[in-house]
Amino acid sequence: MIELRGLTKKFGDFTAVDGLSFEIQTGEFFGLLGPNGAGKTTTISMLSTVLLPSSGEIYIDGNKLTRAASEQKRKLAVITQEYSMRQDMTMDEVMEYQGRLYYMPRKQIKERSQQLLDFAGLSDYHRRTVRHLSGGMKRKLMICRALLIEPEILLLDEPTAGMDALSRRQMWNLLKQVNNRDMTILLTTHYIEEAETLCDRVAMINQGRLQKLDSPRTLIDELGAFTVDETDTDGLTSRHFSDREEAIRYLEHTAHDSTLRQTTLEDVFIDCAGRKL
Amino acid sequence: MGIVTVLWEKWVEFRRDFYKITVAAMISPLMYLIIFGLGIRTTSHGEPYIHFLVPGLVAMVTMTGSFGAIAQSMSVQRLYEKALDQVMVSPTTLWQFILGQIVGGSLRGLYAACVILVLTIPVRHGLIFNGLSFFIMLLNGAVFATLALVLSFLAKTYSDAPRFNTYIIMPMSFLCNTFFSTEEMPDGFRQIIEILPLSQASGMIRSIAGGDAPGITGFIVLAAWLAVLGSISVFFIYRKKNL
Repeated sequence: MIELRGLTKKFGDFTAVDGLSFEIQTGEFFGLLGPNGAGKTTTISMLSTVLLPSSGEIYIDGNKLTRAASEQKRKLAVITQEYSMRQDMTMDEVMEYQGRLYYMPRKQIKERSQQLLDFAGLSDYHRRTVRHLSGGMKRKLMICRALLIEPEILLLDEPTAGMDALSRRQMWNLLKQVNNRDMTILLTTHYIEEAETLCDRVAMINQGRLQKLDSPRTLIDELGAFTVDETDTDGLTSRHFSDREEAIRYLEHTAHDSTLRQTTLEDVFIDCAGRKL
Repeated sequence: MGIVTVLWEKWVEFRRDFYKITVAAMISPLMYLIIFGLGIRTTSHGEPYIHFLVPGLVAMVTMTGSFGAIAQSMSVQRLYEKALDQVMVSPTTLWQFILGQIVGGSLRGLYAACVILVLTIPVRHGLIFNGLSFFIMLLNGAVFATLALVLSFLAKTYSDAPRFNTYIIMPMSFLCNTFFSTEEMPDGFRQIIEILPLSQASGMIRSIAGGDAPGITGFIVLAAWLAVLGSISVFFIYRKKNL
């Protein structure tokens, strides 16, 4: 279990993360959503100990996470937004370096690397240096690298950023598969559909503060399961209704161009972020 | 164990860039040898100037080799590639990571010194380089590898690494007992220069090369620098808020 207690990060006068507190259960697929600059990446960076909190703590299975906490860190793997790898290493070397950093025996590193690179369709390029890989290949390599150590907790910071629709779907399937093995996953993403499809629960943060936290279904139902989009001279506005009949009645009486649809997590996100922006 | 991982990483880097590293280690010392040692022929303390110059150059390249190997690589990994994040999140013990960087950097400095020792075989008749000389080279390299680590943690942009060279390494190269003795410097300035690690390393390597025993002061100064800079780098990796 991951527990954030009053996690705060300040950069000078700017507060990037402001008293964030929540728990992520073991085996849970948890989404952290928020607009640009909401504090998602800063939170991931504190979980990976690259940044230290200004105040507050992080606990992994009841033990405080610090830079010296090797036992807690052994459970963690991170896939960052940027391609955080030695650009001058080959794929094989990247995998070996990762295995060595986690004290894996060399034989095991070789076997698992081969399996993972095969699985990701990268084996033909295993001697190619990272700087000569395409963006998609680098992203896949980062996933292989994270999975090499069979982490209990996987932190994913916008793992599908810049991927085409097909690659993104492949990534979703892969993440679902690893989550089925009882791996706890924390995902930050800009793609709300991704969080809605994959996550058991999502936390919405804005300006570093927690706004909402629940399952996507509950958040949608709280807002209203049905949405009427109206287009008028001011642009598009959405009204949410918990009852379909009520939404239809509204639709019949409105004078503007309108459509009825089911509410999505994106509506919750816009409602949450829009109020604060 | 963490130390071995870092040394493996340094070995991968060295193996891949072997020719570039070797040529880079040779160029500037070779220029200094040609200009000051062979071009402007003179004597120092009654000996050919080249006998004064070679030990100084050997000490200097342990500094530039070690510093360059760590400053460049760590700055790139921390600020550009973000590859340091991979280390920070891993269970590798961070003081071992630091120690691995220091040993790796020191060995790179020693390699650069060995290149110069091979290159100067035809001109350094009678100069002695023994086990103690190599130990001093390693110690000096360790000091500058540690300095490079500290500065890499302080760097805010990728372009800071070359600036450290201009502000720190280049002045030390010229002032710290490499090309002329610190004895000739004015009081006050001389004491400041003599406390710098390169002055001590050059002096000790030169003493051994001339058949004398090096004083204990040099070892104390180098060990003190290593302890202070090592403590700062360990403090940074465990305590610096934003790495």
